[in-house]
Amino acid sequence: MLDVSELVTTYGKIEALKGVSLHVAGGKITCLLGPNGAGKTTLMMTIAGILRPRRGSIKLEGAELVGLSPAKIVSRGIALVPENRLVFPEMSVRENLLAGAYQRRDKSEIAADMERMYARFPQLKERREQLAGTLSGGEQQMLAVARALMSRPRVLLMDEPSLGLAPLIVAEIFDIVAALNRDGTTMLLVEQNAHMALKVAHQFFLMEQGRVTFQGTPGQLAEDEVIQRAYLGTRRAG
Amino acid sequence: MRTIVCMLVAVAALTAGYPQAAHGQVRAKAAVTCVSAGQVLEYDCTIRLANARSGEPLSGLTVSVGADMPSMPGMHNVRAVKATEQAEKGAYKVRLELEMHGDWAVQIDLRGAVRDRVISMLRFEEADVTDVKPSSGRRGH
Amino acid sequence: MDDYLVSVLSNIGVISFVALSAYLLLLTGEISFGQQAFFAIGAYAAGMATAMWGWPLALGIAWGAAVGAACAVSLGIPTLRLRGLQFSIATLAFAEMVRILFELFRYQVDIDGEPVGPNGTDGFRSIRYIFDHNIETFDFMMLIYTMLAVTLAGFMLLERSRLGVIFRMIGEDATLASLQGIAVARYKVLAAGIAGALAAVGGGLYAHLTTYVEPRTFDVMLGVHSLAYGLIGGLGTALGPLLGVVIDVGLLESVRLFAGYRMIIFGGLVALLLIFRPRGLLDERLVNRIGRLFRNAISGSTRTGRGSR
Ligand SMILES: Nc1ncnc2c1ncn2[C@@H]1O[C@H](COP(=O)(O)OP(=O)(O)O)[C@@H](O)[C@H]1O
Ligand SMILES: [Cu+2]
Ligand SMILES: [Mg+2]
Repeated sequence: MLDVSELVTTYGKIEALKGVSLHVAGGKITCLLGPNGAGKTTLMMTIAGILRPRRGSIKLEGAELVGLSPAKIVSRGIALVPENRLVFPEMSVRENLLAGAYQRRDKSEIAADMERMYARFPQLKERREQLAGTLSGGEQQMLAVARALMSRPRVLLMDEPSLGLAPLIVAEIFDIVAALNRDGTTMLLVEQNAHMALKVAHQFFLMEQGRVTFQGTPGQLAEDEVIQRAYLGTRRAG
Repeated sequence: MRTIVCMLVAVAALTAGYPQAAHGQVRAKAAVTCVSAGQVLEYDCTIRLANARSGEPLSGLTVSVGADMPSMPGMHNVRAVKATEQAEKGAYKVRLELEMHGDWAVQIDLRGAVRDRVISMLRFEEADVTDVKPSSGRRGH
Repeated sequence: MDDYLVSVLSNIGVISFVALSAYLLLLTGEISFGQQAFFAIGAYAAGMATAMWGWPLALGIAWGAAVGAACAVSLGIPTLRLRGLQFSIATLAFAEMVRILFELFRYQVDIDGEPVGPNGTDGFRSIRYIFDHNIETFDFMMLIYTMLAVTLAGFMLLERSRLGVIFRMIGEDATLASLQGIAVARYKVLAAGIAGALAAVGGGLYAHLTTYVEPRTFDVMLGVHSLAYGLIGGLGTALGPLLGVVIDVGLLESVRLFAGYRMIIFGGLVALLLIFRPRGLLDERLVNRIGRLFRNAISGSTRTGRGSR
């Protein structure tokens, strides 16, 4: 569904992506693992059009995305839940959700989707008129996911949704990820918590220092000795 | 956009009803001299008003004098004071209380037989008051 | 009504336009030190229209607004790509450039035997429209406030509209806004254009209120103040910058005790607020809380009435 090939993105002279290729299969959860600084966020921002790659291509069902503005890329059906900058803090929960539907015009459908989001995330419904900045970390993450879904994306990108959340909330987030996937959402998920990711993802990519160094199924991942030691041997906090 | 359109409509509606320009009205000119009144920031000013075209002194008017700092538009509001007419034809006297030293636009409003406003640009300092000339540099803050 | 009160209120009204102009840009996350440039452009353009070309006031002010908006858009297109501080410095540089250009600008025509028009550093005197047309200062004040009320109503509509939400989104996090599919650059230019028009309307009214302007009227002082008004009064509603103006021009100014120390008090107030209430007195949180109280209070009585929609 989403094909990234030979992508090179730089910050000044620093090459953060040194020719990254990966494939996200339709209807599946693809998980991107890797240590801090590997270039995962850079890859997500490049796909979303916030960063311009030096070389390479990003194709959504064959159509090139490189060179399009972030707004155009959203309209092609890509939604990103970015790392760390989750919500518009001084806007209400409801306004945040509507923001996700910015490019849509179908008012009644938007309203129906809002109700669907409130049904899926009851905490958000209770707090719909509250400013998003006053929500807890977990609630903000859920709001960010719900907002991304409001654009009815064909591919949902999530950058470390469990970052900084308590284990119970992380489990809840992964339940949501799994549920969304059951409903048919294609996802590319960045995660450092390999244990959690193993439970939901169908395909794995490992990134290190701007390169993809491993790819495989959960089974292959669990068997790989190097990965075992680096990502599964010691449980990481957060 | 909508804001601007609304605004324009309102202005048009409001000003449409105003009377048209009455040309040939008397215009005034003023010569202002001020001296320190002893107290800091208090000045005694003598204003000589005349018809701008004929030079004839303008007497018998109600004259009120205010001041504004050109370098701080609208942010100083010196209470306008009534000037008292002097024996000399066309001369009026007024005491101004300013808020700071520097260049002030002395605003002379005339009512009565002539309705006009005359602006006189003066530099008020501790000891003396001088006309502001374009070449004399600027002093505000 | 007391003349003094009329003059204070007129000043407050006029300055409010520049404050709203800076506020609109603050909403979209841009700090401009240069809104006084559009105030100047509006003042000169409107003044020239009525005093030199004999246009009616409404047309003159509209013309000033149009010129202000056009200048703001053409400045915005190259500068809004700049980030944060760079943008602020660019606006400041532009405003100083405009001021210096007006110092050099001489264009006078003979009206009733008198030269009328911009005359370099001497400024532009005899913008006598309200005297030529026998408009009382009270009536002119009412005109200012009618226009301000219309502008505020526009802001209230804006705040409830899609466009207002977009401005806020961009202001809070431009990257996150573009991730929602918003063409950020285009909306920023639009905001700059509206802000330019608003400042220019203020300038046009100011020129006719005082009957004279000169280049130093448009000193950076005015720009800094108008920015500060939003920051003091609050960014949660368009009433915020107005509150800022009232605090400065109305309160600090009229308490004679402060005379001479006003700048210091004003500066201190801005500093304190930036520390303790970075988004001003009427910030989003307060506005949200009041809004919710209000809604809760009336929801019982109106729910049935609105149900039919
Ligand atoms: N804005 C930036 N400017 C310069 N270098 C950056 C910037 N953002 C990230 N980098 C660098 O790019 C590399 C990849 O970072 P990032 O994509 O954030 O990694 P990850 O998300 O995998 O932790 C790191 O070496 C980081 O230091
Ligand atoms: Cu001053
Ligand atoms: Mg990252």
